[in-house]
Amino acid sequence: MNKLKGLLKARWMSSLIFLILLFLITGIADPAFLNYSSIVSCFNTATMYTLLAVGIAFVIMTGEIDVSIGATLGLSAAMTGLIAQQGGSVAGMLAAVLATGALIGLVNGVGVAYFGVPSLIFTLGTNSVVRGLVYILTGGRTVENFGGAIASYGNKVLFAEITLYYAIAVALVAVSHIVLTRTRKGKYFIAVGNNAGGAQLVGISVLGTKVLAYVLCGLFAGLGGFVFASKYGQVMTVAGSGYEMTAIAACVLGGISLSGGLGNMVGAALGAVIMSSISRLLVFIGLPSTYDNTITGVMLIVIVVVDALAQRRSIEMARRKRLLSRTAANAAQGGGKA
Amino acid sequence: MKTLLKKVFKHWEMFLLVFLVLEFVVFGAANPKFLRPASIMNSIVNYISVCIISLFVTLVMITGGIDIQAPSIIGLTSIVIGVLWSDAGLNIWLCVAIAAVLAALCGALSGFFIAYCGVQPMVVTLGGSFLYSGLALLVSGMSATPAYQGISGFPAKTEAGEFVGFRFLGKGDIFGVPTQIVIYAALILLCVWILHRTKYGERLYLIGVNQRAAEYSGINTRAVIMSTYVLSAVSAALAGVLLTANVNSAKYNLGSGYTLAIITAVVLGGTLNTGGKGSILGTVLASLIICILRYGLPLCFGVSTQNLDLPVGIILVLVVLGREIAGQHMLSRLFKRR
Amino acid sequence: MAAKMNGAAAAPRLEVRKIRKAFGQNVVLKGIDLSVKAGEVVALIGGNGAGKSTLMKIIMGIYSCDGGEILIDGAPAKLGKPAASLAAGIYLVPQEPLLFPNMTVLENILMGFRESESELKKRLAKHMEELGFNLNLQRKASTLSIAEQQLVELLRGLMRNARILILDEPTSALTFGEVQALFNVVRDLRRKGISMIYITHRLNEVFEIATDVAIMRDGLITLEGPVEHFTKDMLIQGLLPSDAQAQREGGKAYEPVRYSELKPVMQVRGLTGYGFSDVSFDLYPGEILGIAGVVGAGRTELISTIFGRDKTLGGTVTLDGKDITGLPTKRILQEGINFVPEDRHMHGLFKIRSISSNTTSALLDSAEIGRVSMNRRRQAQIAQKYVDDFRTKVVSLEDLIGSLSGGNQQKVVIARSLSTKPKVVILDEPTRGIDAAARSDVYGIIRQLKEAGVAVLMVSSDIEEVVELADRAITVFQGRINGEFSREEITQDTLTSASFGIEKERMV
Repeated sequence: MNKLKGLLKARWMSSLIFLILLFLITGIADPAFLNYSSIVSCFNTATMYTLLAVGIAFVIMTGEIDVSIGATLGLSAAMTGLIAQQGGSVAGMLAAVLATGALIGLVNGVGVAYFGVPSLIFTLGTNSVVRGLVYILTGGRTVENFGGAIASYGNKVLFAEITLYYAIAVALVAVSHIVLTRTRKGKYFIAVGNNAGGAQLVGISVLGTKVLAYVLCGLFAGLGGFVFASKYGQVMTVAGSGYEMTAIAACVLGGISLSGGLGNMVGAALGAVIMSSISRLLVFIGLPSTYDNTITGVMLIVIVVVDALAQRRSIEMARRKRLLSRTAANAAQGGGKA
Repeated sequence: MKTLLKKVFKHWEMFLLVFLVLEFVVFGAANPKFLRPASIMNSIVNYISVCIISLFVTLVMITGGIDIQAPSIIGLTSIVIGVLWSDAGLNIWLCVAIAAVLAALCGALSGFFIAYCGVQPMVVTLGGSFLYSGLALLVSGMSATPAYQGISGFPAKTEAGEFVGFRFLGKGDIFGVPTQIVIYAALILLCVWILHRTKYGERLYLIGVNQRAAEYSGINTRAVIMSTYVLSAVSAALAGVLLTANVNSAKYNLGSGYTLAIITAVVLGGTLNTGGKGSILGTVLASLIICILRYGLPLCFGVSTQNLDLPVGIILVLVVLGREIAGQHMLSRLFKRR
Repeated sequence: MAAKMNGAAAAPRLEVRKIRKAFGQNVVLKGIDLSVKAGEVVALIGGNGAGKSTLMKIIMGIYSCDGGEILIDGAPAKLGKPAASLAAGIYLVPQEPLLFPNMTVLENILMGFRESESELKKRLAKHMEELGFNLNLQRKASTLSIAEQQLVELLRGLMRNARILILDEPTSALTFGEVQALFNVVRDLRRKGISMIYITHRLNEVFEIATDVAIMRDGLITLEGPVEHFTKDMLIQGLLPSDAQAQREGGKAYEPVRYSELKPVMQVRGLTGYGFSDVSFDLYPGEILGIAGVVGAGRTELISTIFGRDKTLGGTVTLDGKDITGLPTKRILQEGINFVPEDRHMHGLFKIRSISSNTTSALLDSAEIGRVSMNRRRQAQIAQKYVDDFRTKVVSLEDLIGSLSGGNQQKVVIARSLSTKPKVVILDEPTRGIDAAARSDVYGIIRQLKEAGVAVLMVSSDIEEVVELADRAITVFQGRINGEFSREEITQDTLTSASFGIEKERMV
């Protein structure tokens, strides 16, 4: 019983343990790392990836994928910058990025769920389209020199060195996590990814759930764009490209299965922290940051391979045990008869 | 007339061909300069990596897999050749051979995890793209030349301005046709033969349609699946060689950003992402459609060269939606509303 | 709702009228009439492909019907989607339970409700107590046995206050003890006034559990009434195609196998694997050896292990004196065994490939169709030969096999198993899901094989099939061989008894 409970938690717990181990190893290599500021700043820098990872986790949970979030982030960031240049309000920027994100999500969701286009292909297309819109919106130029409130928020510390944005991101992670694991509708995402046929049979709208997941994913990517603009103070036309792969990697590291129905938001958020702090940790370990991608790649592959082998083994063991028990039952019964 | 149209649209390749011809007609009418053969060929040379790799990624996708790591192997090949040649002083052809073997090993590694450990291809090759691009960066660190600069001065350009040896691959021509295009044409023939004429190709299709049934037919599905990743990695290595020879610069990040373009070409070419269906001709036509679009739009309609993602994205989205609607998947879905 | 129920006491709880459904050209339901009253258990029986599952999916709102109407308590109901059917009190317990494997039992049961969790838990506890279920609600669904999964499905239905439960072959994967437990639950539910449609292949169950029986054949209900009005023989007659009698008599005279003159081609000695244990038998050239037994007895596991699909734990298999134990499938094929899998869609067909590709898929390791490059002409010749031999109905060899009817698909799969010129052909449920006409064609093909001297090992759950075709038969019960029968000893009765482990006069 306890073992099972442990297993249930293991997936995101293992990413937490992994993160702590990373910190400890870094600390051993350079004790200067082991202080509050360094560790907190690892979390702070993960803000954008956290938002993206949690958003895309909704989609992955339902068994689909969304590779358009990098472009969505870029478009939202560009919009934020342009509105800031015009002296617009923060509320206006938020409204714009959220509307943009939701709309892109809606298009993705309808294309994938209602039209049945494979999600990788459809979001690949919307990715290009949205990236194109960034060029049109900005005229191909970098959006910069926008001042006002938004620039000052970028690195604003809320309390105990935790930035405002990370605090908000954490709050969103918490809400998403609770929605996903505790609420009736939230569980639909997991149910659809687990077994779409079964979900349909108990009256869940599979298509509606998938559309909703895409919309949520778009909203998070939109917010990510806002954070991007605010933090960096300039938005290039390629802003956010490639982020979708990092976000997917974060989800995988956080124990979310790409086949859907497995994992949770805390895992995704932890995965994002791992992804964004690797390069920082390398500096402390004394390796140049050029090792960043190599280590990320090795980590990702090792984790998914181990996970896949363990899962396959447990399924195979269960099957074999079941089959063996049939003949064993017979032996027992036969003995009784004789 | 109607039956003729039906015949035309019965095959996806036919539709693509019509589309390609239309492109020539429209662009040619808008600007006669468009029709200069040298420029057209040059537009293909500019996109040669995507053209070549998409041929072999088609093989991967026919088996139901996906390969998003190939572009990172372009950079790895390029920098390995550069470092071996300029820093280790090896013969250039030996460098090419070593780089190709290395690429094959990279493909084999990912392919092994996919085929024998049962990890999702998307995740493994995502990890692979991090790993191999990371390795490329590390290799570039071994060179005396700074990573951002790129290693140049490859052999050889004669005093008459002719390209011979290594650089002939990238810059030379055979009877006025760029070497790269001759190689591409040869590869097309090779792939058509492999996929449509050999027993190996037949196996690829059967595995893609139903892997378990293929096993019941005595096909060693794992080895075949793994081999497709080796082939696509080797093709990426070849693309890396051509690109290096063309720009006369070995850089670790050559080819980054081609990931989605390659998948787009394969998918637009009609290959089913679930496997079992697709053709080399389709991929070739789709690659050419994208090439011509990227060349014609700026030349004839003044579209910014930066903003070529948008039209490609729109075409991809429209085409996959149209295909889905034509297959009546959507109609049944909308009416059933499950 | 209670008032409505009382008011409409005379009307059946569920009534379907003139339901029709076609998938493309394939007409599955040709106007079905069926009604279920409160507290009735209607056993719905019929061969594979008779359309039972399709009808149930229509009632559940998963498929829409092309015509006809559904009435609930006498009032027409509009059931277009599962949510509507659930609201109407209908719940389908599918043959393969559709649980969420990564969720707990509790989450699985409570999924899709609107009420508060505490209230639901209370109701769940009540249901479980009433039925005497004892299930740990915190277990993950992926750790449940099939029987336990079915209990979870039943609870899901009860929690929805289902008044009409549809059980789709609930016992097909259960052990004997589990079946008895399930029957107790069904009786209990019946007493509570819940109506049930009970789909089964097992005639004994009809008399044990049902109040009414309906037989479905070729998309029509051909026989219907209270169970008391029927005997087992009457049901069997009702299940047989109308021309079956004539066919059997019209068939060629039985050719006895002269065992004394033959040497066995395949010898299995003490073979043990996952799902079966200590299995020994001989297989002679030119004979059809039937393997009977209930679903889950270990027959499929036995033959797929011989074919190299699973690990051998002990014992030996020899083919023509050569030890082939534990070889991979590819080698087994080369040694001269081929296989027609039970699940045609999962293991047999390449749906979006052509008929010729499907026919020759097992030949890719031989030089028969070219060494490196494919000899398409040779491939087409081979495919054409089998199409002609088997009278497979095709328009063109390049048509996708998915466009053929089930029977013709099966002929192509059998053609593939012969294409490697095997010494031994293993057939797993060779006529599952195909219509009567194709069935007799397949029987003809199997007899031809026998005449050609091929050894045929045939697993079948359809006992009549074994009776009709087999020269010898063995029965498998709980993973072991518990009976061997010569042609003269093979009867429905002896095989059925042995399959269910009931000891009769002759045991090994």
